[in-house]
Amino acid sequence: MLTFDQVFKRYETGQDALAEVSFSLDPGEFVFLTGPSGAGKSTLMKLAIAMERSTRGQVLLDGQNLNQLPARKIPELRRKVGVVFQNHQLLFDRSVFDNVALPLEIAGHPPSEVKSRVRAALSKVGLSNKERDWPVTLSGGEQQRVGIARAVVHRPPLLLADEPTGNLDPELSREIMSLFQQFSQLGVTVMIATHDLDLVREIPAQRLHLQSGRVVQP
Amino acid sequence: MSERQATGGATQRLLSRRDRLRAWARHHRQLFGSTLSALLRDWMGLMTTWLVIGIALSLPVLMLIGLRQIGETDHRQVIEPAISVYLSSPSGSAVTQGLVSSLRQMPEIRQVTLISEAEALAEFSERSGFFDVLNAFSENPLPAVLEVRSVSTEGAAIRLLTQKIGALEGIDSISFDAAWRQRLSSVLLIIERITLALGVLFLCGVVLIIGNTLRLTIENRRHEIEVIKLVGGTDAFVQRPFVYRGFWLGMGGGLMAWIMIQSSLIYLSVPVETLARSYRSDFALEALGFQESLALLALGAGLGIVGSMVSVRRHLVKIQPN
Repeated sequence: MLTFDQVFKRYETGQDALAEVSFSLDPGEFVFLTGPSGAGKSTLMKLAIAMERSTRGQVLLDGQNLNQLPARKIPELRRKVGVVFQNHQLLFDRSVFDNVALPLEIAGHPPSEVKSRVRAALSKVGLSNKERDWPVTLSGGEQQRVGIARAVVHRPPLLLADEPTGNLDPELSREIMSLFQQFSQLGVTVMIATHDLDLVREIPAQRLHLQSGRVVQP
Repeated sequence: MSERQATGGATQRLLSRRDRLRAWARHHRQLFGSTLSALLRDWMGLMTTWLVIGIALSLPVLMLIGLRQIGETDHRQVIEPAISVYLSSPSGSAVTQGLVSSLRQMPEIRQVTLISEAEALAEFSERSGFFDVLNAFSENPLPAVLEVRSVSTEGAAIRLLTQKIGALEGIDSISFDAAWRQRLSSVLLIIERITLALGVLFLCGVVLIIGNTLRLTIENRRHEIEVIKLVGGTDAFVQRPFVYRGFWLGMGGGLMAWIMIQSSLIYLSVPVETLARSYRSDFALEALGFQESLALLALGAGLGIVGSMVSVRRHLVKIQPN
């Protein structure tokens, strides 16, 4: 599903954000992406959704080589991925419902389907009663969960999450983690970047550990 | 029928082409109204933009109307000089009457107006300075005059006609100021070109105003655009609301222009008609008709769409999720 082959990413400042990164995720695999701050976890995720292009090496998403992909095909590719970033990326000028519905509207699903799917996604993250609320009225944790709902509402084959439990208390974190595990069991490829080593220890899963841009043994 | 992607149990429903077409139509339908209401939320800013576009549109259109109405055949007599035929016989005489009917039968001649000695005297008297001079004569010294207007406006044809008339009886002399005519043609051509040039400039101005307004809107909605692109929205999807905004900006501007033009025409109509009548013309300023009004609105809307596509697309493509 997602393959990195000898990927290097160097920024204009001369910094090597990633060096010789190689790994491959099969469909349905559940992987933790760990490493200290600045190790390159966010960069790796950005490369996976073509937000950046690698300086060297290949990134393959569902068989497509991202480096060779023309710009106009990127939106189609992004619709296959659900992303949960740390800063939620919610739109504050619309309701929770409309925020979660966004990927479905972009894809063009009929309104009746959008309604049922959004409600299903919101109930999965425990926010069914917040459907009509505005993001500004929600707590940090609730906003995080809306972001997660939006990332899964269109059932993408790949789910990337950057510190998805950062704003959540331990109990909620565990609930969200089990949700991700459920997805993985249904065949979704899940990669979670996290600092939270307690969480990593609790859940039996593969680990991809980055240190200064390189893949090392944890 | 929709296909299902084979990734185990978690399937992403891929939409059929028909579904996507319906979604596209739905998006357009929804945007048609929602973009207008979004614009109306800042109604003061909107009014200002509409007024500016209205002014920029109404100036070239007014000039075009003026040019067109002056150019129409019936009104040429206001500015076209006639061939002046000075007669040797009095206006009531058989010679003169015979001359007038012969001329009227000539196909090259459009109109023959007989000005009797008495009428000529009256006209001259009205002009200051001549009254005293004429009073010095005991008899009316002025001859009868025929004002002959030709069908053709070409110099060569008119000269030929002048020679033809000169061969007839009852004529003392003929005058036709060709040089004056040339000069007038040149002046008209210059005015026409200035109008066209200004018109093009103003229309470009409208396109630029709309593009600029939309670019500001895009800047204000940068975050939204980034998120939509992150989640897989195409450039076309992102651009669509702005094209509709451009449409509404142009349409409203066109409406403003219509109001301004009609008001200007009404305001000018009385003095223009008075002037025309003093030239013995029945020229009248006409207000914009139904078809012309629709054309004006269409022009505004069209420029709005062009403005949104031209300047907005480049700006939008540059915005990427971060």
